[in-house]
Amino acid sequence: MTATAEPAQLHRRRVDWTNVAMGTWGVLMFAFLFAPIIVIVAYSFNTGRLLTSWNGFGVQGYTDLFDNPVAQSTVWVSIRAGVIAALVSTTLGSLAGVALARRPGRWVPFFLVVLTLVLVTPEIVDAVALLPWFVRLGTDWGLVAFSNGLVRLVVAHSLFAAAVVALIVRARMQGLDESLEESAADLYATPWNRFRQITLPLMMPAVLAGALMSFTLSLDNTIISSFISVTGNTPWPVYVFSSVRSGLRPEIAAVSTLMLLLTLVAIGIVGLVLRRGGESSGGIARTMTGG
Amino acid sequence: MSDEVLATPGVRKWRAPGFALALPAWAWFVLFFVLPVGFVILLSFGAKPDIFRPYSLEVLSFDQYAKALDPAYGPTLKNTLRVGITGTIACLVIALPFAYWLAVRVPPRWRGLLLGLVLVPFWTNFLVRTIGWQLIISPDGIASSVLQQLGIISQPLNFLYSRSAVLLGVVYNYLPLMILPLFVAFDRLDPTLREASKDLGASRFRTFTQVTLPLAMPGVVAGLALVFIPLMGDYITAEVLGGAKGNMLGQLIASQFLSAQNWPLGAAMAVLLMLSITVTGLLFALIGVTVRSALRRRRRIVIDTGEVAA
Amino acid sequence: MSNDDGLRILASTEATQRLSRRSFLAGATVTAVAGTTLIAGCGSSDTAPSAGAGSSAGPIEDQLNMYTWGEYDSPKVLKEFTASVGPKLQVDSYNSNEEMVNKLVATKGTSGYDLVVPTGPFIPQMVANDLLEPMDLTRLPNFSNVDSVYLGQTWDPNNEHSVPKAWGTTGYAYDTTKIDREMTTWQDFLDVASTTASGQVSILDSPDNVVGLYLWAKNIDWMTTDMTLLDEAQDYLVNTLAPHVKKFESYPGSNGMPQGSFWLVHAWNGDARQGILSSDDQDRWKWVLPTPRTEIWMDNWCIPKGAPNPNAAYAWIDYVLDPGVSLKELSYIGYHTAIKGIEPAAKEAGLDRLDIVFFTPEQVATMEAGELNDAQQKRVDIWNAMKAAAGR
Repeated sequence: MTATAEPAQLHRRRVDWTNVAMGTWGVLMFAFLFAPIIVIVAYSFNTGRLLTSWNGFGVQGYTDLFDNPVAQSTVWVSIRAGVIAALVSTTLGSLAGVALARRPGRWVPFFLVVLTLVLVTPEIVDAVALLPWFVRLGTDWGLVAFSNGLVRLVVAHSLFAAAVVALIVRARMQGLDESLEESAADLYATPWNRFRQITLPLMMPAVLAGALMSFTLSLDNTIISSFISVTGNTPWPVYVFSSVRSGLRPEIAAVSTLMLLLTLVAIGIVGLVLRRGGESSGGIARTMTGG
Repeated sequence: MSDEVLATPGVRKWRAPGFALALPAWAWFVLFFVLPVGFVILLSFGAKPDIFRPYSLEVLSFDQYAKALDPAYGPTLKNTLRVGITGTIACLVIALPFAYWLAVRVPPRWRGLLLGLVLVPFWTNFLVRTIGWQLIISPDGIASSVLQQLGIISQPLNFLYSRSAVLLGVVYNYLPLMILPLFVAFDRLDPTLREASKDLGASRFRTFTQVTLPLAMPGVVAGLALVFIPLMGDYITAEVLGGAKGNMLGQLIASQFLSAQNWPLGAAMAVLLMLSITVTGLLFALIGVTVRSALRRRRRIVIDTGEVAA
Repeated sequence: MSNDDGLRILASTEATQRLSRRSFLAGATVTAVAGTTLIAGCGSSDTAPSAGAGSSAGPIEDQLNMYTWGEYDSPKVLKEFTASVGPKLQVDSYNSNEEMVNKLVATKGTSGYDLVVPTGPFIPQMVANDLLEPMDLTRLPNFSNVDSVYLGQTWDPNNEHSVPKAWGTTGYAYDTTKIDREMTTWQDFLDVASTTASGQVSILDSPDNVVGLYLWAKNIDWMTTDMTLLDEAQDYLVNTLAPHVKKFESYPGSNGMPQGSFWLVHAWNGDARQGILSSDDQDRWKWVLPTPRTEIWMDNWCIPKGAPNPNAAYAWIDYVLDPGVSLKELSYIGYHTAIKGIEPAAKEAGLDRLDIVFFTPEQVATMEAGELNDAQQKRVDIWNAMKAAAGR
């Protein structure tokens, strides 16, 4: 039966309408997904006083940005905070991830509950919780470090990021066969060597991916930062947010475009690292959403 | 095997206790998450003494909860739930065909690139994306000029600062969070199952609803959760696009801490937000489980009959 | 604006009796004389406009963080300050005094701001709650440029904590191409907002202004503590007006008027002027100073407790008190900057729409000041309830 059906099918060349419909939907979706981003990039070349009213094409937004030391300092603050927050959260998260994957115990359910809560709590709740807490720690209890803007940003950004890194590293380690480490132990490797030469290289893709994701999450963090930031150490999203209230300018779109490029570079590196580490597209997607 | 090796003298296998490795993270979370949030919950039972002191914990009561649910503020919670549920379902409906297409229909060599493209908006700053929409739908923006040129509308576009604008904004902002788990779920599916279904004579639609979708259900659930939870707490989209009509609980909480200075009330609202997310989530989980077991029972009967007949 | 006219002063409830014009002038003269003697005795009497600070207590820092109202300083002036004096400027804005006070209270001296700009009546309680540093007038040689009529207000009789920045009023503007009828009163605003301009109205995001909308329309003192009246106001605002509001916006001049997002905007005079001047078609907007009553407010420079860059703060205040700089500020922000001779100077410079900046004595007579009284919490509650109701 199939032998006679196939040639008939080959000759008929029927248009697969569902494929066409899905393809069109896909294109529309991409247009939808990219619309605001393209608009922001385009409007960064607006020469008007206000961002929303298009006045003409020019690089005034970018020159204004170069003339604006405050806007520039917010970018540097964000990058500094991002790097330090990435270091902190990667260290904390990787250790936790390894512990979850390799040394589970009775503590695991409790830890997972806390992790889930960290990931699931809406940002606004985190924000209103951290501000009074930092003031209490910094002013009431005299721990001056917590009145420092950079310290506050690093602590706040590293919470969510550490949880994400922990899950990524755990997922990676669980996927790896423990016998590699066992064999190293059998071959008289010291715990430190075992870690350095076997475990670390194996989990490196996940750790790197986690570090870069933490960096990006920190660059992006808006709500919590707007509550806890101290003037002088303002990250760039908070700068953008406050200008939403008082009047958007083209330089806001300019700084957003530049930060978008930076984020894309960071994410591109993550993708490359994961690809090299042998992940499939699905695996990468899984990693990106934190498992 | 390792235990036998341990018996060999001279080799001591030192295993760091797992708890110790996770301890720094533990301490970090407790110190900067559990305790602060705990304090917020405590705060929700307090009161506000005068305009120059944001809170007082001298008298603890449920007063703030009563105030948060009274006719002045209660509708905000209802509105937030409405936007939350509508937005989540809209995300699902929009993302499902797209994720399926991407995971199943697109040729494998393009899949990585297209997935990367989907991720680009995901990793763009949330606020910047929302401002982009403000630029598009503003009365002097692109959408307005295009629609006026095409003659579809005669006045500048009156869309910005409305509830629909907020809905558009939240659906857009959280769409990638729905696409990605769905993609992962569809990607994980074994294509042979679908082929088997087709070979047994099922139409493509039937294959989708009775084979593909049920198998992808964990991804659907993950997507629904990933979208619903942050959507309920949304603050930025409503601020930038909503105007007075936006009015989500997140904004109300923020204003209690920023301008209205009533921290206990804000804390009570924050607790109510978390409770409503949990309760709604559990409710839908319950509904989902009930529906699934009902469907299962129905299908089982059909299969049994088939087997008996054969 | 001459000194002889009955300028309504901004008095708080501490004044148990309404100051008559005569006693006010007497008091003001005494304070002005005392003040000038004090300053003349201490610092240099050199009134040359300078870009540098007066007798400063140390080197000027390289950063200055300002927490002020939106679009309240000319960007050119900000840039020129950095170019000539040095400090980089970080300017954050707030929508209402309550927001600013809350930030200072919540951060307990760690806010990081060097300058805040409270409206007069809030200052006494800010001082009482230890939120402000004392203002050392000897470090401000240009202080003598301030028109003495505006000094020694009831909330800070000796200008120990504040220096006048600008004063203005509250009114509204409407798009004449969308709204046909003539509008002159607050009642007109309420009527049109609920009918023709329904869904296209923006209201100031500030508790006292929101409540004032109703009370002024009914010709009631907007600072009344009569709870029955306030309940009436709440009932109207929450049930009748709120559904027609499109946005609670304190700066429609940048966030709505040029874009055409609103037909009717509740605004402070300078902001409305900014909006009109930025619109493509200026003539379609009409500014209204509504009758029978409205607000007179004065904003002041204050240095919050724990300011990290106080020398830069003093340098800035002294910089803007220079008449030339003050004129540039006025030209942008559209408010009277309380400097001697600023009105004739502005008229001579031919600046636009000065009818929205300077007011006649008859107009000033209809303006009343705000105060921080027992009804404050009720006003905040009404404002919250209205915002919640608007979103229904």
